[in-house]
Amino acid sequence: MADVKALLAEFDEISKNPRKMLDSYLAAGEKVIGSFYYTPQPLITALGMIPMGLWGGQVNPQVAGKYAPIFTCSILRSSLEFGMTGAYEGLSAVLMPILCDTFRGTCAAWRAGVNIKLIPFVHPQNRKDPGALDYLIEEYKYVKTELENVAGKTCTDADIHAAIDLHNKKNKVIRDFCAAANHHLDLITAVTRHHVMKALTFMKPEDIIEKLSQLTAALNELPDYEWTGKKVILTGITAEPDDMLAGFTANNIAVVGDDLMQESRLYRTDYPAANSAMESLALQWLNIKGCSMAHDDNSRARGEHLVSMVEENGADAVVLCMMRFCDTEEYDQPYIIKMVQDAGYMAFSIDIDQSTSDSGQALTKIQAFAEN
Amino acid sequence: MKYALGIDIGSTATKAVIMTSEGKIAASAVVSIGTGTAGPKKALMEVLDKAGLDRDQITWTTATGYGRFSLEGADDQKSELSCHAKGVSYLMPGTHTIIDIGGQDIKVMSINDRGGLVNFVMNDKCAAGTGRFLDTMARVLNVEVTDLSDLSEKADEVAEISSTCTVFAESEVISKLSTNIKIENIVAGIHQSVAKRVTSLLKRCGIKETIAMSGGVALNKGLVKALENEAGCKIHVHEECQLAGALGAALYAMENTKKAS
Repeated sequence: MADVKALLAEFDEISKNPRKMLDSYLAAGEKVIGSFYYTPQPLITALGMIPMGLWGGQVNPQVAGKYAPIFTCSILRSSLEFGMTGAYEGLSAVLMPILCDTFRGTCAAWRAGVNIKLIPFVHPQNRKDPGALDYLIEEYKYVKTELENVAGKTCTDADIHAAIDLHNKKNKVIRDFCAAANHHLDLITAVTRHHVMKALTFMKPEDIIEKLSQLTAALNELPDYEWTGKKVILTGITAEPDDMLAGFTANNIAVVGDDLMQESRLYRTDYPAANSAMESLALQWLNIKGCSMAHDDNSRARGEHLVSMVEENGADAVVLCMMRFCDTEEYDQPYIIKMVQDAGYMAFSIDIDQSTSDSGQALTKIQAFAEN
Repeated sequence: MKYALGIDIGSTATKAVIMTSEGKIAASAVVSIGTGTAGPKKALMEVLDKAGLDRDQITWTTATGYGRFSLEGADDQKSELSCHAKGVSYLMPGTHTIIDIGGQDIKVMSINDRGGLVNFVMNDKCAAGTGRFLDTMARVLNVEVTDLSDLSEKADEVAEISSTCTVFAESEVISKLSTNIKIENIVAGIHQSVAKRVTSLLKRCGIKETIAMSGGVALNKGLVKALENEAGCKIHVHEECQLAGALGAALYAMENTKKAS
């Protein structure tokens, strides 16, 4: 138990202090690359640099409005604010995938307002077309060249393969933790689970493997806890702030799985075996299923994925954590709710807005779900 | 005789209901100021006074509404979604869909035969279509919000308000006033604007007969009519619609009163 609590405290500390992590990396003479979601992180690792997730944060933007309209999605607006106000100072570069129109606009704003090298790239949306693979390999070659310029060295196919193996191992360790956490819902509350998952986005892959494996092992040594309250699956981009997540625990609700971009969605699709390391990186994007950011010929893929998550984890409901003004996620909302409800489970959405700390309406919805 | 108190502390009004252990409403009160004001205390005093009771004669107090956690002495708090569901189900058995336009949000709920929530949606992004939107429009038109219903009844056409944002809609209303469009027609346009927004939520939640509207805004007959036109269905309104949330809270309180005895 002492191990679990001490390890959870470490993850908690990291999740709340990414700046401290960045400073410690810089003090050790390492180069750090800021990474929005769906970036080929093994390339960063292969070049001996550290990928750090960029997830915006709770801030009321004051200067981002110079470039980003008020209806810019909350996470990109706060990320731009942090970029413009020096919060990301020290990053050697930032990888930005142009996954949606807002990313495209943010790319232009970043170049105008942030003094950190930007490496933008575009994923193919028609992922079934045979040309998609070749196209993405070419995009990733450009990313690799840019990263090599930042690193001041080159990397070989073998270097990238080794990094891919490391990231795949990391993915498995994270999935194992999520599975173990469900047997200890008294300890792994909605807030603690989030802190662990968020901390991972700021840690080196090798450190994740070491620390998280320790936590999972420590959890597995404890007797299972029988949770008698309700259980939910979270889906969306992020689920913050803590006050909102604490509302689940206050209403005797546990989070037993997530389809959040900041959390499990990033780690559920491994880099597959392929003819080359670059092909493996590209195939991973082509293999992603059930994500609002990745067009799928099966328009019900995300709904089907969520229903199966509910059934596999014995959950009672799906909670859509709707990033404010993220139209890409918003379009999924009606059909996801219908599919989950048609399958016999509850589904409802809560608004995630990084520019305000008021979670009043979300807490009302969580309480209402708990009461019925 | 045991008494249970339900108090609904909203953003713009406070409502209170005292119920007897026989399931009857002993007294009720509505005060037109909400959380963070003297409203809750005033509503409490008024309802106790009407029932001829002291606070210590109340066995259980359940608070609901946006300010539910701010009431001193409440025994528990319930979400306004659950309370409206329970309250409407008590007032109008057989209701399966509820619309509640509150001071700062719109709720649409699907409920089962026992008044339990099956599904719910709320406006997330802005104040458009809420009670606050109507307050703002009334202020721009220099009329009382309670007059909006009668004014819209006298409209001979609907002056469409296309903006969904409260601030932009305010500018649009001022623009229409400056071109001498009749206030009555503008009010009809305001109601239509709210009705369109509520209807989109209604469709998202799912429309199942019988449909009822709760909350103080339901007293605005012009708005209810506009909503019926947009949604294409009959909307039922109980004369005590404004008390639905407080009544639901009182029903929860009464359940606890019975459990405690």
